[in-house]
Amino acid sequence: MIISGKNLSKRYGGLKAVEDVNIQCNSGTVTGLLGTNGAGKSTLFKLLLGLVKPDEGSVFINSIRPKPIGGIIEKPCLYSYLNARENLYLFSKIQGAPTSKKVIDGLLEKVGLPLDRKDPVKNYSMGMQQRLGIAIALINQPEGLILDEPFSGLDPIGVENLRELILELAKKDGIAVLIASHNVEELQKCCNFLYVIQNGTIIKSDTTENLISQHTTKYYIVGKSLMASPVLKSYNPKHQGSSVEIECGTADIGKVLQALTAQGVTINSCTPKIDLHKLFQQTEL
Amino acid sequence: MRVLFWAELFKLCKQRRTYYALGAILIMEIIILFSAYYQGRSFIDLLLTNFKETFYFEGNLLNGNLLVYVILNTLWFHLPLLLMIIISGLLTAEYKDGTLQTIFLQPVQKLKFIAAKYLAAILFTLVSVVFLMITAFGLSYAIFGQGDLIVYLDTLNFYEPDDAFRRLVWAFFSGSVTMVFYAVASLTMAICFKDATITWIVAAFFLIVSSLLIRIDYGDSLFGEILYAKLGESWQYFFHFEIPWRQIIFNNGLLIVYSMVIMALGMFIFTKKDIS
Repeated sequence: MIISGKNLSKRYGGLKAVEDVNIQCNSGTVTGLLGTNGAGKSTLFKLLLGLVKPDEGSVFINSIRPKPIGGIIEKPCLYSYLNARENLYLFSKIQGAPTSKKVIDGLLEKVGLPLDRKDPVKNYSMGMQQRLGIAIALINQPEGLILDEPFSGLDPIGVENLRELILELAKKDGIAVLIASHNVEELQKCCNFLYVIQNGTIIKSDTTENLISQHTTKYYIVGKSLMASPVLKSYNPKHQGSSVEIECGTADIGKVLQALTAQGVTINSCTPKIDLHKLFQQTEL
Repeated sequence: MRVLFWAELFKLCKQRRTYYALGAILIMEIIILFSAYYQGRSFIDLLLTNFKETFYFEGNLLNGNLLVYVILNTLWFHLPLLLMIIISGLLTAEYKDGTLQTIFLQPVQKLKFIAAKYLAAILFTLVSVVFLMITAFGLSYAIFGQGDLIVYLDTLNFYEPDDAFRRLVWAFFSGSVTMVFYAVASLTMAICFKDATITWIVAAFFLIVSSLLIRIDYGDSLFGEILYAKLGESWQYFFHFEIPWRQIIFNNGLLIVYSMVIMALGMFIFTKKDIS
């Protein structure tokens, strides 16, 4: 366990931004924090990163490195008038990290940024700024990485590239990655464990697999000849072009797909649809 | 601390607004000089209206030294305003762009960071005053040449070119203490208000109030002697026939103490505040 918050609470005036939250993240894993806008994700991350002092509770960082945790809150905040190399140089210098060309090149390469761009980062796309933000977070080799809404504002290719980068950092470098997002689809693709936060309180926590399966009530199936298939009739199908939405839990989907295949139906994709209302509904932990 | 100070200077040098500020100082000087050049003798007549009937003046009174003195007088309101905008921007821009958050996501101590900001603000202020001094002398002497300096402060005083130059240089040094006071105050305002526009409004209001306070005659009261606005006028003493060194040292010393108190207050507030 690299990052851990115990009984964290933070109030702004009369508003409870975070209330008695327990959260942890282990090395080599990607942990997700799922919540709607205003649920308390950013405040919780600011508490974990030490930007904001908790009213109650404490944060434990199990690392002896000069910089135990790197992070980005809400968006990568960079010196827009400096280029990527100058940003990395500046942030390395202020924390006494190496600033040689080789080290800076290494950071740029690690996040997939070009080495030859010399224009200010204000010209960069959001995806490139996210990558640079991660490179800055990775200066001084932290053991943990906290990313708040890293996928927001990115195009689908940018999202995919960033997801691959996050998974690589966790798997290859053994970094404990904690990601906050309101996008359940993205979190389920990269997280090993999920926390659900609502009104500043963690209302659910489980492995991604369990949490998703517990709240999957529908599936989208895309394929040929789906309309003609009698198998789907008992699952309240709603046809939309070549796709169909069926009401079916994780326990039954395997059987449905087997039956469709046996009937000779060509299935192109099958995507679970999570019941968000159910997911964000508070239940006993 | 040293690297943080270096980082502040690096950012200052890389930002366009730093050069805009220096450019604005230069443009203001040029406007004053052009106005003097085109108005010719009427400019000096304006200064000597009350004395023309009693005294006969000869020689080139509209010279570089007088122009430096005019620039000096004109910019003691404009320069602090410009400095307060630029220096408060050193911090408000970091709040606005979120870079302050990125800084404190690195292992950087708040106290060292803000101390480095204050030091950079002081250095920038001193550089601006030196820049003003060099350009004021350079342009004025180049266009108008040297000559006696005529100054009216209670009485009419004439200073020979060398003496005038010495007094003007001292006035710039003394004035730089006042400028540092306003610079430090503006950074403390930025810490308190965070928002650039609010800080600018408060800084401008502070400057206007200060200029109003200067005009009030407090007589020999202690309040008048220790009021920051009055202390900031110490550079004028260099144009008294006998320079009151003790008064100047006391005034500037007290202004430095005020600056340090304001700086300490700003550091205290900054370290206690969350970064959000």
